[in-house]
Amino acid sequence: MNAVALVKQVPDRNSAFRPAGDWIDESSLGYGINDYDRYAVEAALALKEAGHAAETVAVTAGPADAGQVLRSCLAMGVDRGVHLITDRAHLADPFFVARALADAVSGLDAGVVLAGLLAEDSGHGQVGGLVAGLLGFSFASAATGLHFREGRLEVHRELEGGRIAVVELRLPAVVAVQTGINTPRYASLRGIMASRRKPVERVELSPPAGGGGLRRLTLSRPERGASAEILPGSPEEAAAALVPRMRAGAGITFPGDAA
Amino acid sequence: MSRRVLILAERSETGITDASYELLEFASRLAGGPEGVSAVLPVGDASEAEGLREVLPAGELLLVEGPALAAPTADGTAAAVLHAREASGAECVLLPHDPTGWDVAPLVAARLGTAAATAVSALSWRGDGLVARRSAFLGKFVQEVEAPGLPAVATVERGAFPAREPGPALSVRILPSPVGPGDLRSRLVEVREAGAGGVDLTAADVVVAAGRGLGGPENLDIVRELAAALGGVVGASRAVTDAGWLPHELQIGSSGATVSPKLYVACAISGAIQHLVGMRGSRFVVAINKDPDAPIFGAADVGIVGDALEVIPLVTKAVRDSG
Repeated sequence: MNAVALVKQVPDRNSAFRPAGDWIDESSLGYGINDYDRYAVEAALALKEAGHAAETVAVTAGPADAGQVLRSCLAMGVDRGVHLITDRAHLADPFFVARALADAVSGLDAGVVLAGLLAEDSGHGQVGGLVAGLLGFSFASAATGLHFREGRLEVHRELEGGRIAVVELRLPAVVAVQTGINTPRYASLRGIMASRRKPVERVELSPPAGGGGLRRLTLSRPERGASAEILPGSPEEAAAALVPRMRAGAGITFPGDAA
Repeated sequence: MSRRVLILAERSETGITDASYELLEFASRLAGGPEGVSAVLPVGDASEAEGLREVLPAGELLLVEGPALAAPTADGTAAAVLHAREASGAECVLLPHDPTGWDVAPLVAARLGTAAATAVSALSWRGDGLVARRSAFLGKFVQEVEAPGLPAVATVERGAFPAREPGPALSVRILPSPVGPGDLRSRLVEVREAGAGGVDLTAADVVVAAGRGLGGPENLDIVRELAAALGGVVGASRAVTDAGWLPHELQIGSSGATVSPKLYVACAISGAIQHLVGMRGSRFVVAINKDPDAPIFGAADVGIVGDALEVIPLVTKAVRDSG
């Protein structure tokens, strides 16, 4: 039984994003692995190290240069990669992506499939769950803890208000992990060297056949209906102007105020 | 043309959750009136839900009943929702955009051969489909997507609509659960309440929240000093608690505390939607951030665009000098 991590290549979060057409201007962006997915990869590696998986496999769907994220997974210690090659524009539909990933996962003898809770770019937050639904696997989202107990997977799920749900899943299972579930390792130099010899299987996907899930229409900056008044001037002037506004707006006094 | 919309109602200790009342209002507008709204409530035994029909203002309340549904699970709830969708003929299924919706929506959508529109703040019919307004890029952008076929599935952000007032359901149907306990692949073992942290964020009049943009835990002292000068407490964004700079109990947002202080000061917090839902009930919001496009400025009353490490000590000094 193997541990499979589903990973996505996304634009660097520190890029200056500009909406263009139905998406962003992609002409001068750097790309890297989705931050949430680093935690999924770490969780997969930890399962193998604890003896709960024979092999770790990372799977991604994306254009040719998305192979870079598989390379970074291999450098972290993942054993092999599967690259489902498709146009970046086809990633718009989470159902198309999930179906392709599910097809790939079904041939990987997966015991546990790890996904990030969401992608930083599209933020659909459901590809892991769709894969589980399509394959009939168990599913838990927002995982902040993973333990094996007598052949079942115990998952801690983060609920609102700091509460934690403890759920037990039959295998095979898909788990969508929260950031903070672990501390993702960095690739060592040795890991990077070793990754060059690790195999990556490449599969060309057929384009979406129509039907499917979602289509992008527009992308825009949020309207700032109740937008902040930006205080002008030097930092000193802005700080001085802020204090009376805080006092009046919040209707409170501060500890240093004269009685 | 009248449309039928199904929502998932969730029970709370006193009735149904606030999120359920928001979904009822959202669904009522989408369906063109409350009579077009069906609400599904998975229950172990229908008698548990006796009082709820008086406070659940839907066209019909569908109680999906069976021992497998006594405790909520992802696959059990998904099976109940799918069963109720078929029974009601609903063309759209609405779930809360919260840990329940994250679990259930993709399982429901996969069975319907589609994807869910998630983090949705508005929905409208278009032809044989729906157009959803949703949040993308961690709240930085608003996206419109089309779900070209029906039935469609969506998860709705908290606070997108006001809560509907409690009222009676027009009719009630009890449906036997399509799944038995042996059919489920997941089991709820327990729900652990939040650890009793020392600080009650929710009771504070002033919250000064620290964000990733501060750069590192060594820079938190300036946030603590500002909090002290304002008579408030320190909170944090998820990125800060994930990184271990501050304990998880101090996290504000959809998976942490929801606060509504008189004064909220966001220090180097970009304002991902997951953070905003935890603080948008605040009376007066101040944002300090170097990125003028940060979404936090859309949720703030007053902002200073600048390096938080430089600006925060100046604000602290200005507060002290003004006393």
